[in-house]
Amino acid sequence: MTEEALTAEATEAHGTGEPMIVIEDLSKWFGDFQALKDVDLVIGKQEVVVVCGPSGSGKSTLIRCINRLEQHDKGRIVVDGIELTNDLRNIQEIRREVGMVFQQFNLFPHLTVLENVTLAPRHVRRAAKAKANEAAMKQLERVRIPEQANKFPGQLSGGQQQRVAIARALAMEPKIMLFDEPTSALDPEMIKEVLEAMVDLAQSGMTMIVVTHEMGFAREVASRIVFMADGEIVEAGTPEHFFTNPREERTKQFLAQIL
Amino acid sequence: MSGVRLDLQEPLPVPETEGPPARRLDARAWARENLFSSKLNGVLTVVFGLLLAWVAYRMFRFVFVDARWEIIERNITNLLVYQFPRGELWRVWAALYVLAASVGFGVGAAGRRSSLAAEADGVPRQGRSMVLRRVGPLLVLVVVLLVFAQSLTATLLVAGVAATAVLFRVVGQRVPLRRARLASLLVLVGIAAAYLTITAFGGVPRDRWGGLLLTAFLAIGGIVISFPLGVLLALGRRSSFPAVRIVCTAYIELIRGVPLITILFMSAFALGFFLPPGSERPSAVTRALVALVFFTAAYVAEIVRGGLQGVPRGQLEAAQAIGLSPLKTTRLIVLPQALRNVIPALVGQFISLFKDTSLVFIVGLTELLAVAQNITKQSDFVAQGLFVETLIFAAFVYWAGSYWMSRESQRLETRLGVGVR
Repeated sequence: MTEEALTAEATEAHGTGEPMIVIEDLSKWFGDFQALKDVDLVIGKQEVVVVCGPSGSGKSTLIRCINRLEQHDKGRIVVDGIELTNDLRNIQEIRREVGMVFQQFNLFPHLTVLENVTLAPRHVRRAAKAKANEAAMKQLERVRIPEQANKFPGQLSGGQQQRVAIARALAMEPKIMLFDEPTSALDPEMIKEVLEAMVDLAQSGMTMIVVTHEMGFAREVASRIVFMADGEIVEAGTPEHFFTNPREERTKQFLAQIL
Repeated sequence: MSGVRLDLQEPLPVPETEGPPARRLDARAWARENLFSSKLNGVLTVVFGLLLAWVAYRMFRFVFVDARWEIIERNITNLLVYQFPRGELWRVWAALYVLAASVGFGVGAAGRRSSLAAEADGVPRQGRSMVLRRVGPLLVLVVVLLVFAQSLTATLLVAGVAATAVLFRVVGQRVPLRRARLASLLVLVGIAAAYLTITAFGGVPRDRWGGLLLTAFLAIGGIVISFPLGVLLALGRRSSFPAVRIVCTAYIELIRGVPLITILFMSAFALGFFLPPGSERPSAVTRALVALVFFTAAYVAEIVRGGLQGVPRGQLEAAQAIGLSPLKTTRLIVLPQALRNVIPALVGQFISLFKDTSLVFIVGLTELLAVAQNITKQSDFVAQGLFVETLIFAAFVYWAGSYWMSRESQRLETRLGVGVR
C-alpha cells in the first residue's frame, strides 16, 4: 500500500485527518513462531483503537513493537512522522511520545507514588524537582488519587496502582498511549475505576491503542475495533459494525465466546 | 428492633471492634503446653535443661571465678592498637570522634526519609529503646573494654564519643538533606577523614597499626572498596559487550576457585608483578587489604548478580517505556531493587570478611587475634596456659562485631521493606 492509500484508509475509518501511527507489512518472529504476519494498520490522531482477539493472537506483540519493547523483523513503523529504526536516539525519541500501561502495572516498588510519576520527567526531560512534582500532582488528580502521593505502590490496591501507572505514563505528556490489557490483572470491583480514567483520557483527545477484553469499553469509547487472530488482522471496523454485523466467521466465533 | 425507639439526637455508640480473643497463660500452663506436652517432651526438657544449666554454670564459673583476666587488663592497649606509638594515641580518639559525628549525622539524615514514608503509612516511629537495641552488641563490647581498661579518662572519652554520635544524629534529623543518598556519602567522607586523622600530618602510617585497630581498618576498608567493585563486576558479567563480560566472568571464577590464604600469600609476593617496574613494593598492610578486597569482590559480585536476576523483566520494560536510558535504568530502577533483595547475603559476606581479617597474620601482620596469641608469650604470662582467656576475649570482640552487623542488616531489611509487603 502506498502512503497515500494508507492515509486515505485512515481518513476513511475515522475522519480526523492525518495519521499518527502507520504500520506497514509488519512481521515478527519468536524463534520459528511467527507472532505477526504482514500486519498493516494506520491509526489517526485522536483515534481510540481497541485491539482484541484470542490469546496468542499477537495483539500485545503488535503494540509492544510500537515503542520497541519488541523489535520487529520486517516491515515499517512510523510514529508521528518518525520512523522506528535501530538508532537508539530514534527509539528514545519515539518512547518520549508514546506512553505505555502494562497488565502488571510495573510500578517501581522502591519509589513512592510521586517519585514513580516524576522519575521520567526529572531524569529524561531534566525538569526541576518542584515543577515535576507540581505536574505529577496534576496527573495524579487527573486519575483521582492525589492523596496517595507519598505512599509506596505496595500500599495501594490494584486499581489504584494501575491509575498511578497511567499517571506515570501521562507525566511525559505523550501523544499516544498504549494499554496492554490494563484491567486483566484487576479484581472485578476495581476494573471500573481504571476504565473511567481511560474514558476521561479518550475524551480529552488522546490517541490510544488499547488491548483489552472489556467489550463494554470498546463499544462505548472505541472509534475502531481491530480483531486479531494468529498474528493477522482479521477484521477492523467501527464498534457498531463489529458487534452487530461482523463479516468474518472467526470474528463471529470470538464474539459468541466472550459476549 | 421492634418496640425500641431510637433517639436520633443521641449519637449511636460505635460498635467495639472485635480483636482476636486474648490468650494469656500463666507460667505453669505455658510450661505444660510448651515444655511438658508429652512424656518424651518432658524428658527432653529435663535433660536439655540440666545440660544447659551445667554448661552455663561452667562458663559462668570460668569467666567470673577461675579465669585470670589480668593478662587482658595489662594488655588492653596492645590488644586494641598493638605497637601504635602511645604518644600518638590521641589521633585514634580524634578519629573516633570524627567517625561518631559523621555516622551519627548520616544515620539521622537517612532515617528522616524513611520515617516520613513510614508515617504516611501510619507506622509508629521507632522509639528510643529501638535505638538502644540497635547498638546493643557494640554497647556490650565497649563496656567490656572499659571494664578491662579501668581508666576514667577512657570512660569519659567514650562517653564523649557516644554523646557526639547522638548529638549529630539529632542535627542530621533537623538539617534537611536534599538527597538522602548524600547521607551515605557523608559517612564515607567521615571514614576517610577518620583515616586521615590518624595518618596525615605527621601521623602514624597504617603499616604500624595493629590489634583491633588493624582489624577494623581491614574490615571497613575491605567492605567499602569491595562493595562497589563487586557491583561493577556483577554488572560487567551481565554486560552486552563480550570483552567486558568475559573479563568479569574470568575474574570472578578465578578468584572464587582459590582459597583466601592463597590470595593473601600471592598478594604478599606477586603483587609486584602487576605494578610498573621501579615502583615501590607496597607494604604488608596494603597487600593484605588488596587481597581481602579482591577476594570479597568476587563473592559480592555473585551475590549481586543473583539480586539482579531477581528484578522482574517488567521493571526494565516500564523503565524503557518511559524513556530512561540503559544507564539510568540500572542506577535508578534495577540496582536499588537488586541490592535490597540481597542484603542478608551481602552482610553475611561482610561478616565473613570481618572474621577473615584474622588470617592476615600469615603475611606477618599483627591484628587482634595475633596480638591475643603474642601476649601469652610475655615473660609475666608465658607457659601459664592463659591462651584460653585471650582467645575468649578475641572471640568475644569478633562476636560482638558480627552480631551487630547481622542485626543492622535485619533492621535495614525491615526498613527498606516499607511499601513492598
